[in-house]
Amino acid sequence: MKFDAGRQKYEPDLEEIKKEGFLKKVTSKISKIKISEKEFEIYSEELEMLLLENNVALNVAEKIIEELKYRIVGKEFLKKEIESEIKDCFKEIIEEILITPFDVVEKVKEKISDQSKEPYVILFCGINGTGKTTTIAKIARFLKENKLSCVFAAADTFRAASIEQIKKHGEQLGIKVISNEYGSDPASVGFDAIQYAKKNFINCVLIDTAGRMHTAKNLLNEIEKIAKVCKPDLKIFVGEAITGNDVIEQAKSFDWAIGIDGIILTKADIDEKGGTALSVGYVTKKPILYLGTGQEYNKIVVFDKKKFIKDLGLDDNKSNYNNL
Amino acid sequence: MLEKLGEVIRKATNRIANAIFLDKNLMDSVIRDLQRALIEADVNVHLIKELTDRIKKEALDERVKGIEKKEHMIKLLHDELIKILGEHKQLKLKKGQNRILLLGLYGAGKTTTVAKLGNYFTKRGHKVALLGLDVHRPAAKEQLKQLAERNKLNYFIDEKENNAVKTWKKFEKDLKKYDLILIDTAGRHSLDKSLIKEITALNKDIKPTEAILVMPADIGQAAKKQAREFQEAVNISGVIITRMDSTAKGGGALTACGETKAPVYFITTGEKINDIEEFNPKAFLSRLLGMGDLQALIEKVKSATDDKKQKQIQKRLEEGKLSLDDVVEQVKSMGSMGGLDKIKSMIPGLGSAKIPDKMLGTQEEKIKKWEHIIKSMTPEEKENPEILKKQTSRISRVAKGSGTHTSEVRSLLKQYDMLNEMIKSGTDLDMSHGFSQKQIQKLIKKFGKRKIRRLG
Repeated sequence: MKFDAGRQKYEPDLEEIKKEGFLKKVTSKISKIKISEKEFEIYSEELEMLLLENNVALNVAEKIIEELKYRIVGKEFLKKEIESEIKDCFKEIIEEILITPFDVVEKVKEKISDQSKEPYVILFCGINGTGKTTTIAKIARFLKENKLSCVFAAADTFRAASIEQIKKHGEQLGIKVISNEYGSDPASVGFDAIQYAKKNFINCVLIDTAGRMHTAKNLLNEIEKIAKVCKPDLKIFVGEAITGNDVIEQAKSFDWAIGIDGIILTKADIDEKGGTALSVGYVTKKPILYLGTGQEYNKIVVFDKKKFIKDLGLDDNKSNYNNL
Repeated sequence: MLEKLGEVIRKATNRIANAIFLDKNLMDSVIRDLQRALIEADVNVHLIKELTDRIKKEALDERVKGIEKKEHMIKLLHDELIKILGEHKQLKLKKGQNRILLLGLYGAGKTTTVAKLGNYFTKRGHKVALLGLDVHRPAAKEQLKQLAERNKLNYFIDEKENNAVKTWKKFEKDLKKYDLILIDTAGRHSLDKSLIKEITALNKDIKPTEAILVMPADIGQAAKKQAREFQEAVNISGVIITRMDSTAKGGGALTACGETKAPVYFITTGEKINDIEEFNPKAFLSRLLGMGDLQALIEKVKSATDDKKQKQIQKRLEEGKLSLDDVVEQVKSMGSMGGLDKIKSMIPGLGSAKIPDKMLGTQEEKIKKWEHIIKSMTPEEKENPEILKKQTSRISRVAKGSGTHTSEVRSLLKQYDMLNEMIKSGTDLDMSHGFSQKQIQKLIKKFGKRKIRRLG
C-alpha cells in the first residue's frame, strides 16, 4: 500500500497530540480562532476526528460531540472564556460517562463479615488473549496484601496449557488452585473451588474462564451456565485498552449474557490513547475498576477518573500511575 | 464477520448505480457512509480522510471520458478498498531451511498461530519444527507442547531455560534437519525496552527468512504505531491477522500492514487447528461484498483433509465399498473446516442465506453422537449398513447401546445413503486433491439449494 503523497499532510501533528493530550490540542485550536456558537459545527468534525484518533469508538465519539454541541451552542460566552467553557463542558460529559469505581476489597470484607462463611466469588470473562489469567493473578496478590485469602478456580479447561499457566501463578503467589482435566465442565470446577473455600474458610474465589468470542453463541451459553452454578458476587469483563470499535460489541455481548458488574482494561501500558475506557464505559454504564499496566504482579492500578481526565490533556500537569 | 462493512459498501454501490446521475449531494452522502463504515472497522482515521478526499477529487474529474461517471465512482471505491487491503503475496517457502519468526503484542495469538501454521505446512509436505522461545509468560512453552502433541507436530522447548537466545543456541544443531522452523516468541510491545532488545538479539542470531507480525483483528488506532515500531526493531516481512471470526473488521491490523509495507499472508478465524486461511485481497473484497470466495473454500478443504485418508477413501470408493466410518470421516473433515457458518460466506450466493443458529452449533454434537452410534454396531453392520434397515430391531439395539434415539441412528443411515448416491452419480469423483471447483458447484446444486429452501 502506498499513500506517501498524501500521508505527510496529516501526519506531523500526531506526536504533538500524544505528548500534550488531545483535548488540549482541540481547545487550543478553537481558542485561536474566535468561535461563535453557531460556528461550532465547523469545528465539530475536527473535534470528532481527534476523539476517533484516540481510539474512542465512532458511536461514542458522536454522542459526546452531540452532547457538547447541545451544551455549547446557544449559550453566550466571552471570547476569552470559550476555551475554559469547552474544557469544563468536556470534563463534565466525560465525568458523567465514567462511573466511579467501587472498592473491591471493601466489597469482599463486607461479605465475609456476615459470619455465613460464604466466600466472595469473582468471575472473570472476556474474549481470547485479553489477559484474564494474568489479571486474576494480579488481583489475588492485591487481595492477599489486604489480608484476604484466595483460591483459584482453573475453569479454563479448553485452551492448551491454561491450567498449567494458572498453577504457575498459584505456586508463585502461594495460592491453592482447584482444577480438573482439560475438556471437563468449567462450571463444576468453579463449584468445587467454592466448596473448597467454604471448608477451608477462604475469603475469596477467583474463577478463570476460557477466552471466548462474543459471537460464539454456544460459548456464551457456557458462561451463562458457569454464572448460574457459581452465583458470583462480582462478574468482571476483562478487555484490552487497545481494542478499537469492537470493544463495544464485546462488552455488550458479555453484559447481555451474564450481566457484568465491572470492567478491567489490560495492556494499558501499550498505548497512551485511552479512548477505549470511554467507549466501554459509555455502552455498559458499568465502572472501570482497574487498568493492567504490565507483566509483573504489581502492574495493576485502580482506575482513577480524575487522573484519566487529566491525562486527556485538560490540565497541564500529568500524573503518574502508582501501582497497587 | 464483516457483514456490516460489506453491507454499507454494497448499499453505497447500489445507490450510485441506481441514481440517474452522480451529483455532489449523492457523492457526499455516500462518502459519509463509507467513512463511518471504515471508522467502525478501525481503519486509521488519517488514512480514511486521505482516501475519501482522493475519491471526491477523482470522481468529479471532468477529464475522465468514455466511461460513465457513476461507473467511474464505483471503480474508484473498489480500487481504494483494494489499496487498504494491500497487495496479494503468498508466503512462499524457499529451498533450504526456512526460519519464520512470529512476534507481536501479548495475547495476539502467536502460539496458537504457530501451531496452525505448523499444521498447514505439514499437510503440504514440509518437514516442520515448532520452537518455543516465549520464556516469559507462565506455561507458554507448555501450551506449545500441548498443541504440538495434539496435532502430531515436532516441537522443541526447554522448560527450564529462561533465556531465549540460549534456547535457540541449544537447539540450533538439532533443527538443521527441518526445512521449516516456526518460532514462537514472547508477547511484547514497543515501549518495553528490554523485550525489544531481546527480539533484536534473536533476530541477529536466528537470521529468520521471514519475520511475521501477528495482530488481532480488533486492535484499534494503536495498531499503526505498534507496527511501525516493531518494523524498526525487526524487519517485518508479513502479517497474520488473528480473531477474524468475531465482529471485528481488522481495519486496525490492515492499517498496520500499510505502515510496515508488509503483505497479509494469512488470517485466522477460530480456535481450531484448521481455522487459518491464505489472505487474498481481491477475493476478500468479493466476500466482503457478498460475492463469495471459492478459492478460499477449496484451500480450506485441502488443509482440512488428510492426503492419506483421502486416498484411502478414494480407493474404497472405487471398490464400491463405503463404510459408515468413512461417512463420519467425511463429515468430520467438513466440521474441521469450521462448520457451516464459515463455509457459507465463501460460497457465491450463499453469503446472505439465513441459516438458523441452532443448525450451526449442533454439527459437532451430531458427529460425536454418530461416533457413539457406530461404536455400538457390529463389524458386519458397519461394513454393510443396509442390514440395519432391513431389521429394525437392530436399530433399536444400536440406539440403546449408544444412548441415543432411534431417529438419530436413522439420520446417520440417511447421511450414508446420501453420500452413496452422490458417489454413484458422480463417476469422476476424484478427491485425492480435495474437491475441485466444479465438484463443489455440483454439490451446491445438489444439496445446497434443497437445504436452504428447507431451512428458510
